[in-house]
Amino acid sequence: MSFNIEEGRYVILGSIDGLLATLGIIVGVSVVSADNSIIVTAGFGGAIALALTNGLGSYLAESTIEHGKLVRAEKSLLRKLSNTYVASQSRKRIVKDAITHGGASFLASLIPLAPWVLGAGSVIASVALSLITLVFLGVYAGYISKQNYATSVAKMVGLGTLIVITVQLLRLGHFV
Amino acid sequence: MSQIKRLVLDVLKPHEPTNVEVASAIGDIQDVEGVNVSLYEVDQETENVKITVEGINVDYNLVRQTIENLGGVVHSVDEIIAGKKIVEEEETLHDRG
Repeated sequence: MSFNIEEGRYVILGSIDGLLATLGIIVGVSVVSADNSIIVTAGFGGAIALALTNGLGSYLAESTIEHGKLVRAEKSLLRKLSNTYVASQSRKRIVKDAITHGGASFLASLIPLAPWVLGAGSVIASVALSLITLVFLGVYAGYISKQNYATSVAKMVGLGTLIVITVQLLRLGHFV
Repeated sequence: MSQIKRLVLDVLKPHEPTNVEVASAIGDIQDVEGVNVSLYEVDQETENVKITVEGINVDYNLVRQTIENLGGVVHSVDEIIAGKKIVEEEETLHDRG
């Protein structure tokens, strides 16, 4: 399966969402309980909810944009485009983007959860795995944007670290 | 009915599918031996192309259907060559003047 630039956008968006939001859940829940099953359940719940909202969000947003494009083309061509190759390609793009966004979000959510699922759960392991994934994501983003790989990785890991630090600060002064 | 050997069509189409895809789709039609898609004008939403189709027995309806399925509209049929041999347009005195 090859990804074009449009899908690359959803791979990056979904992965960052899944990775960091799930990491946030793990860090937050681990303050209250160190029980593996509670953290895994909370993490999976978050992962599924994120995947569904990202997928549905993309579906609705892309449907709106694609429908607008079709209507504008129809006005210029003075004909309906329903039941044409153009309309079917448009529908395929909407579904592909929704699956890519939701799927990337879900798969990335599994990364910080993996140590807990395997029974070797620790916040440090989740943070480390997430940061390593952000390095790969940075390389991928650099490849897509034709940017310097080091800059792209630094940006991705830097932003990820910022979020991890923010979540850790919240953990220190936890309100629960 | 004699067989159509060449069709020249003036077509308005959206930017997607690309002209490469359009040429390839028309080229896949039975009895079509060659296709030329030339871009004439590009607008914000559409582009105007001249499509030349050659073959032993070109089915105009099939070519039009393929173009319409790809989102295009045939504005006019600018040239048709049918029969046993290809007859090119002759220059008349009027054209020379």
